Amino acid sequence: MIEVNNKEKLDWFEGMTVQDVLDKMGYIYPRITVSVNDQLVNKEDYATYKVPDNARVNVFHLAHGG
Amino acid sequence: MATKTKAGPTKYEISINGKTATVVEDTYLLKAVMDAGFNVPTLCHHKDLTPDGTCRLCLCEVETNGKKKLVTACNYPVRSEIKVKTNTEEIKKHRKSLAEMYLGRWPNVETIQNIAKLCGATDKEKYKSDITDENPKACILCGHCVRACSSFMIQDILGFAGRGIKRHLTMPFGDVDPHCVGCTSCGYVCPTGAIQITDEMNNPVDPELIRRHGMKVNAEMATLDKMQNRMREVGTANIVEVMDAYDLLPVHNFKFGKHPDTHKIDSKVMTRDYFTQGAADACWLGCSMACAKAVDGFELKTGPYKGEKVVVDGPEYETAAGGSNMGGFDLDFIVEYNFYCDTYGIDTISFATTIAFVMEAFEAGIITEEHTGGKKLNFGAMDEALECLHEMARGEGFGVEVGQGVRRLKEKWVKELGADPEFLNDIGMEVKGLEFSEYVSKESLAQQAGYAMAIKGPQHDEAWLIFIDMVNNQIPSFDDKAEALYYFPLFRIWFGLLGLCKIVWNDVAPADNSKYPPQEAAKIPEHVENYWKFFEGMTGIPVDEDKMLLQAERVFNLQRLMSYYFGRGTREDDMPPLRAIGPATVEEYLSREERYDKQMKEEIGIDPEGKSAEEKLAITRDHRFKQYNKVIDAAYKRRGWDENGVPTVERLKQIGIDIPEVMALLERPDQ
Ligand code: SF4
Ligand code: SF4
Ligand code: FES
Repeated sequence: MIEVNNKEKLDWFEGMTVQDVLDKMGYIYPRITVSVNDQLVNKEDYATYKVPDNARVNVFHLAHGG
Repeated sequence: MATKTKAGPTKYEISINGKTATVVEDTYLLKAVMDAGFNVPTLCHHKDLTPDGTCRLCLCEVETNGKKKLVTACNYPVRSEIKVKTNTEEIKKHRKSLAEMYLGRWPNVETIQNIAKLCGATDKEKYKSDITDENPKACILCGHCVRACSSFMIQDILGFAGRGIKRHLTMPFGDVDPHCVGCTSCGYVCPTGAIQITDEMNNPVDPELIRRHGMKVNAEMATLDKMQNRMREVGTANIVEVMDAYDLLPVHNFKFGKHPDTHKIDSKVMTRDYFTQGAADACWLGCSMACAKAVDGFELKTGPYKGEKVVVDGPEYETAAGGSNMGGFDLDFIVEYNFYCDTYGIDTISFATTIAFVMEAFEAGIITEEHTGGKKLNFGAMDEALECLHEMARGEGFGVEVGQGVRRLKEKWVKELGADPEFLNDIGMEVKGLEFSEYVSKESLAQQAGYAMAIKGPQHDEAWLIFIDMVNNQIPSFDDKAEALYYFPLFRIWFGLLGLCKIVWNDVAPADNSKYPPQEAAKIPEHVENYWKFFEGMTGIPVDEDKMLLQAERVFNLQRLMSYYFGRGTREDDMPPLRAIGPATVEEYLSREERYDKQMKEEIGIDPEGKSAEEKLAITRDHRFKQYNKVIDAAYKRRGWDENGVPTVERLKQIGIDIPEVMALLERPDQ
């Protein structure tokens, strides 16, 4: 089990990547910053960065306009 | 080894002077070389501009499969595992003779002298000729200005003419082009001073300061926007599909947050089939964000201009989302109502939110065809919605009633038709008589309060906090929310006071904005600083966060007091309809039953098991109003207002506006 933004719980699976977390959460907004256990993850690593079990994942969305 | 993954970019391990570096596909070699700590001389390269590859100083040797060749590093994208050398004897020789030629032509230009030094070229005489230009501020044909004009300003005012030694910089037909907006980008990027900025319009105290910060915005727009919100390409409409994905796109009078037909009105369709003008066309020419979009040659199907082809300014996000709110998932309809609202002088948001309310009332049987002049106003009735709009403009029929807006329709239907006031108040999306702008705020307390407390009514002029509250969960406590409801309205009011657009604050962000902790990152500190510098550059008065907040807080409190004086600015005026803070009908509850049941169990502490939908709706309603009241209590306290939402004398003293004229506003004539 992992926790996203100190709120949502997601079932963990072997090999789970940051991209998997974003897909599961439906996070498609382009201006996000991701950290896994307080470690910043670069955009180009989303698809390869492995999320360990019990991780705290933070996906920070910047506000948009209007 | 190249690592390729399904969704991620390919990376290559390349060797640079024997050192290994991992590089993302399509990174320009110059950047990879610099990142690896090697220096390569450049002339035409500029970090914020698309590469050109004309000066040839950045030559590097690239080896692929045993084959070696020389490439210009600044415009060579890495696409395989290459071996790179930056400083072979051959390269040094090439660079030196290039530098000697440059030095012979422009011996006194400092940039050229520096390059010459770097390349070991000392002989000024070797290539001296009759084209030698002794001017220390000569144009060295680097092309920065040409590219800045096109990528910062989306203009093509500057260009080169002539070939070989006759090549020179010019404007079209060798004359001063009246389309030049005077942005000074070209002068800013010119490394030699060949382009001088002579005219400082509006007499700023420190034009350089303004320019420095303005150019940062230009550069971000040129380099980052395409990977961020694509404001230049689609404008604010970029978030139609994003809002749908986050269950935030208003559908059927804000009942729901997404719809299977959203793909018919999203930004992909707009860019593919509708937008024809991508350049800055509206707010002011010269804005590098250029988010305003237009549809050319649109043939109208209804109304007084039926059959004519027109230019439509928009649609922006809220106009498109107004479409989904009315159940109109059709861009022809959206562009048409956009055009006629603009033509008639009607706000698209108020129109759409009012029609959505009318449609729900029609479906609930509160009004019938008898009241609407025979129009079947179900959700999705686009022709009928447009007919209401035309009637509104002509001052005829049901359209006249619709034109009064949600608040007056509620009052009228209660009085004349005996409609249930509670139901109408629950679903009528207005606060202070203004219709809600197009976001579903149900799952974000801070957004609800930011909207409903806003002095001019529910829109994002003061705060737009859905992401930091609901999605990021960055402001979980009531105090955190109150702090956000203190800072953001003040910041937004402050730049509104300066007459500056807020889109360049948060619709593009510096690439390294994530270096700040999230609470700070949400403010986009470097962009807040840009605004401070614009202020200082113009007035000569330095400003920081405390000064900014104080300036804004004075105005904010004055506005609140004026609205109080005229009978509007108290707690009851800050109360949202139920639909804005949670499900208002059984249908809505059941549409997100799992979510609401879970919240009931975990947040309210009541087991939903065995309860009817009506009971669950009532419990949720009660809880949500309690939560809402708590959040505005906290916000009032943080703002220094009493529990009725009125600024306290103590606060007015603290911020130094306890002058008689202001104090007099506390004496409300109706009380
Ligand atoms: S001032 Fe601006 S618009 Fe005019 S030529 Fe220079 S870059 Fe282009
Ligand atoms: S005017 Fe300046 S920026 Fe433009 S080509 Fe000449 S040297 Fe470069
Ligand atoms: S810097 Fe001019 S060709 Fe690369």
